[in-house]
Amino acid sequence: MLIGGLLVIVAGIMAFFPKMNSSGEDIDLISLPLVGFPIIVSCILLAFASQENRSRREILAVPVKLFTLCASMIPLAVSTALFFDWLVITDWDLLYNEYALEKEYVWIESIGVSWHVGMDGLSFPMVWLTTFLVPITIITTWDEKDGATYHPLLLMMGGALIGVFVALDLFLFYVFWELTLIPMFFLILKWGGKDRRYAAQKFFIYTFCASVIMLLGLITLYFLQPEGNGAQYGTVTGRTFDMTELFKNAKYANDNGVFLGKGMQYVLFAMLMIGFLVKLPAVPFHTWLPDAHVQAPTGGSMLLAGVMLKMGAYGMLRIPIAIFPDAVVYYQDVIMAIGLISLVWGAIVCLGQTNLKRMVAYSSVSHMGVILLGIASMQPIGYAAALFMMFAHGIISPMLFAVCGAFKHHYHSMEIGAMRGMAKWSPYLAVYMMFAWMASLGLPLLAGFVAELMVMIAFWPEYGWWILLPGAVLAITAAYYLWSMQRTIFEGGDEGQPPESLNGEIPPDITLPENIGMIILAIFTVIFGIFPFIALGMMDDWTVAFFKGVFISGGI
Amino acid sequence: MSGSEIIDYAVLIPLMPFLAFPVILFLGRLFNGTPTWVRDVKEGGIIALTVMGASLVLTLLVIKEHMNKVGAADVFTWFESSWWDSTNASDPITTKIFGFGIYIDHLTIMLLFVAAFLCFLINIFSIGYMNTDSINDNRNHRFYAEFVLFCSGMLGMVLADSFLWLFIFWELMGLCSYLLIGFYYERPSAAYAAKKAFLTTRVGDVFLVIGLVMLWNLFEPYAGTQGALSYAVVFDPENIARVNSGDLQLALGMMFIGAVGKSAQFPLHVWLPDAMEGPTPVSALIHAATMVNAGLYLVARMFPFFMEAEIGTLSTLAIVIAVIGGITAVMAALIAFVQIDLKKVLAYSTMSQLAYIFTGLGSALWAANNGYETIAAFAMGASLFHLFNHAMAKGMLFMASGSVIHEMHHAHHEVAHHGHGDDDHHDDHHDDHFDAQSMENMGGLASRMPITATAMFVGSMSIIGIPLIGGFWSKEGVIASAWKVSLKEPVFLLPAMLILIGAGMTGFYMSRMWFMTFAGKPKTEVAEHVHEQTPWIPIPLVILTFMTLGAVILAGMHAGHWLGDFEKGHYTSFIDGIGAEMEYVFLNDDLFLMVLTYVTIGLSLIVGPSLAMKLYGGNLDGDQKAKPWMQWAISLSARVNKNSNFDNTAWANSSLATSLHKRLHFDDVYDAAMLKIVVGFAKLSAIFDSKFIDGVIKSIESTSQEASRRLRALTTGSARDYIMMTALGTLVIFILLWGVA
Repeated sequence: MLIGGLLVIVAGIMAFFPKMNSSGEDIDLISLPLVGFPIIVSCILLAFASQENRSRREILAVPVKLFTLCASMIPLAVSTALFFDWLVITDWDLLYNEYALEKEYVWIESIGVSWHVGMDGLSFPMVWLTTFLVPITIITTWDEKDGATYHPLLLMMGGALIGVFVALDLFLFYVFWELTLIPMFFLILKWGGKDRRYAAQKFFIYTFCASVIMLLGLITLYFLQPEGNGAQYGTVTGRTFDMTELFKNAKYANDNGVFLGKGMQYVLFAMLMIGFLVKLPAVPFHTWLPDAHVQAPTGGSMLLAGVMLKMGAYGMLRIPIAIFPDAVVYYQDVIMAIGLISLVWGAIVCLGQTNLKRMVAYSSVSHMGVILLGIASMQPIGYAAALFMMFAHGIISPMLFAVCGAFKHHYHSMEIGAMRGMAKWSPYLAVYMMFAWMASLGLPLLAGFVAELMVMIAFWPEYGWWILLPGAVLAITAAYYLWSMQRTIFEGGDEGQPPESLNGEIPPDITLPENIGMIILAIFTVIFGIFPFIALGMMDDWTVAFFKGVFISGGI
Repeated sequence: MSGSEIIDYAVLIPLMPFLAFPVILFLGRLFNGTPTWVRDVKEGGIIALTVMGASLVLTLLVIKEHMNKVGAADVFTWFESSWWDSTNASDPITTKIFGFGIYIDHLTIMLLFVAAFLCFLINIFSIGYMNTDSINDNRNHRFYAEFVLFCSGMLGMVLADSFLWLFIFWELMGLCSYLLIGFYYERPSAAYAAKKAFLTTRVGDVFLVIGLVMLWNLFEPYAGTQGALSYAVVFDPENIARVNSGDLQLALGMMFIGAVGKSAQFPLHVWLPDAMEGPTPVSALIHAATMVNAGLYLVARMFPFFMEAEIGTLSTLAIVIAVIGGITAVMAALIAFVQIDLKKVLAYSTMSQLAYIFTGLGSALWAANNGYETIAAFAMGASLFHLFNHAMAKGMLFMASGSVIHEMHHAHHEVAHHGHGDDDHHDDHHDDHFDAQSMENMGGLASRMPITATAMFVGSMSIIGIPLIGGFWSKEGVIASAWKVSLKEPVFLLPAMLILIGAGMTGFYMSRMWFMTFAGKPKTEVAEHVHEQTPWIPIPLVILTFMTLGAVILAGMHAGHWLGDFEKGHYTSFIDGIGAEMEYVFLNDDLFLMVLTYVTIGLSLIVGPSLAMKLYGGNLDGDQKAKPWMQWAISLSARVNKNSNFDNTAWANSSLATSLHKRLHFDDVYDAAMLKIVVGFAKLSAIFDSKFIDGVIKSIESTSQEASRRLRALTTGSARDYIMMTALGTLVIFILLWGVA
């Protein structure tokens, strides 16, 4: 078994390393290393590890976990190397509809589907974030039961998520979009809490229904687009699923009029947006999220909040907003309203929660509203803020859920107030909790603040005094986080008050793997808070190119 | 610029303590309990002291270099982002830089000195105070780590070259304030106070952010690629002249609300008294001497706007600032009348004195905006000087109160030990109900704690404004400038009148505090056993006592500045300056101002203290003798007290006194509003969310399940039914096709 696993790793490395030394342009650094490798490895591991025999599964757990961790490091190494230009020199300052490391292989010729991947300033930060979070999640939830199947599922999840971000073909995009549901469904179903069956079904069906509306929109778009001829166009349909081709045509049409006509833009934009808004999630389509989070295991929650929600925001920016600029202007106020409602409603509901994890889940709803605000502001700084929010929230929210998970793990309860004086019993957990909470409420010099500030700057010129609402949310956010800390970290008298759920045992502090995972997240929160330009430089370049390409007609 | 100047290293002043924060925290985690760490490093205290000493030295060097010149230096670009101006067709997208840099002018220097100097002194005090109490064992590293982080925030805020970074460091201070108030996390009252402090200031901060956003958008068109919040852009007279002053006033007004929260002014003042839950060094540093000055600093920073904007356009805001100051000055002083907790009296006194400075700043801003430059310069100088004097005196008062509380603790411990035999009571002194902070347990400490009593004596006199000592000079200046402005603008009569009354009230509550604590006979057994014995603590007390007494020298040195006597400029020697000062204060040519001076002196020197003496004065017990410079006051108080037959009970039972005890009900109302209305609404919302919004989804789900159950019923399994259905279906299709055709 171990030998087999090692063979897979060696094969994975061999698959792309030899080419690396030859001319840089020819290497496909995305398809296999970032997307294919994790999915294939995890499938093999799952096939290996899903033994009926319980004891055999337990024996397998440790080597499989170690192996999964090593395997998850490979995409991380590749994406990090891409950022620092270690493998190939990559220029991220691209024009609109230009992609780095672009690769295209014809897949289904008759209808114009190709395996087309590439990255730009929008997708690369998300790809790096995913590759970064998967090993962190594996480490943090090292002790999860049935590790032989749990950890490979996380790896598969990571591969599918990266696939969503690198896909430059609508068909491929949709395939990966739905593929992400499968590992998450099993994670919730098998490792979830008491109501896991209901939560898993709700999660799957809810988001799937929304995706179907999106799919209808995509297919309509496919058939309405002008026919063309070229390698990307289907031999039978004469149309293409290729995004770059579509963007090119749409831009040409938009510069000289309106692509597909105004009415059709509004309809298609709305159809696509529904799929993305449910994923984001935006109020009132958010109720699947708290259920999924509360029932999901810690690792599932970390990836769900950290990356999966951002698929919604990513999809919006990638497809509908790029193709239908007139619809964006038309729906600007609607997007802003949905964003504000999500922001305010999420925060208020947070304040009324008694379950720690539910509170954190609603805080995600609230923070995702900020992304909509940035989009509706129609300012490059607002878009850059939305991107940075996706990124920053992607680091902070896994930490929030890791803290919740550790809380549950050690105190066997999620109720706020079940455990008081945590600072006495679990000083490490208390520190991480305070850190994560503070980062989430937007304390300056931690990652979340930059995005909030930028969004508010972009908000004012268009919407003026409505800014009082996001302002109020800043205060409410502080209120629910501080109130929950008062009743967990603080208080408890000189002796502390161990919760009843422990039956008189002495409450333990967090385990070493949890500690490692959380401290890495904390360090990165600080790094991106003090030096946001590391990520924002690329995002700003992308935003400028995007605005010149989409909103400024005749621009490049 | 040539080579390396000292300003290039100024960034180290906040950076060194910032980096010391993780170091102390992690070392503490590693070495806690080991003898060297506890005895020689004082659980991190020595590391903190070294760092703060280095910061202080660097600060002094910077001050020496920049005494009379403005300096600026870029440090790093935080991030860049782009801005789309759709009206500009040729170049629609510009890049905006959000950078951090150092900016040094007179205001910076003044606050930088106050901050660095007091951080250093209070660090010395902390080593004495924190490391000799067993309750702090194994958590002092946390104290020192948060302490240096706070110092970093304060120094950074003062040095920052933009409103953006001012806000960032401002929040950093807020965080440290929260952490340090909640230092004794296991006490519910501390947890509550920490939350209250953070939330109340957060409300102000929200408005500050909104103000900053408005300011950013106002100055964005004129900023080019520079940060639109950096002082270089916003203080450029051309830019100020170009923006709409109505909008500017709104933006500045929003920012002022932030200052109200941070400096604990009405109506966001409720957090400060509760913040006294923190260890006393924290109260001294954060909640008296430095952080609460941040709001004043922000308002003082707005001065150029008022100077350069169109005449009269920003007056409303200046009036609001002054009125808020006036109201707070009197309200806080009133509440201070009935406090029996030593630290809470000081907390309300801080609030009240900060309010004086706000009134002074309001006057300065009004005068600046209406073209009275001399008055503006005078009022500005007086306000800032009061800030300086107050910081020094209040820092000292808090440290002295800490000394008293500390020794009371130890004395109580001693007494309890002897009283109850040799049970192990060592750690239990927080459980029994002895309140070491209550002045009702003190009395007669003047002879037992001479250094502390002297420091408290001088500090109180400085706050009261006893002629020739510390705060007298600046307080006279603030009151005079408010009245001067009220001659031009009658609305200012309200704050001017309020702070004049407040002067007398200050005289009462500060004297009351001193006499209750140090004069009379000991009220408990514990107070008899108090000794001044903790090392480290007296050092800062002595230094600050002389500093406060010597404020007259500073006043003399800068008489030219703050008398607005621009022609004469700096006086050649400080003795000339003091002469001019004396003449200006006591023998002013302007009869109105002279009368005002004597009225103020009469109120603060005679009315207030003598009332306090009547109520609380008294001789020490028999053989005890205080130092001569305090003994006269004690003897005088005893004589006044003996001759008075002032009956206090009617007042003590009045409804006003009751509501003063309840802090004029502000806290209760806020708490109720927060708990009942906001949290209540939130709970309802949570129910609505799960019952209605999710309920709709659930009903869709149950409807579809119901529908599928019905449809399933059609699957009978009988061939006859299926043939029937097939036939019907075919028929329907035919009809449809026929219809279409």
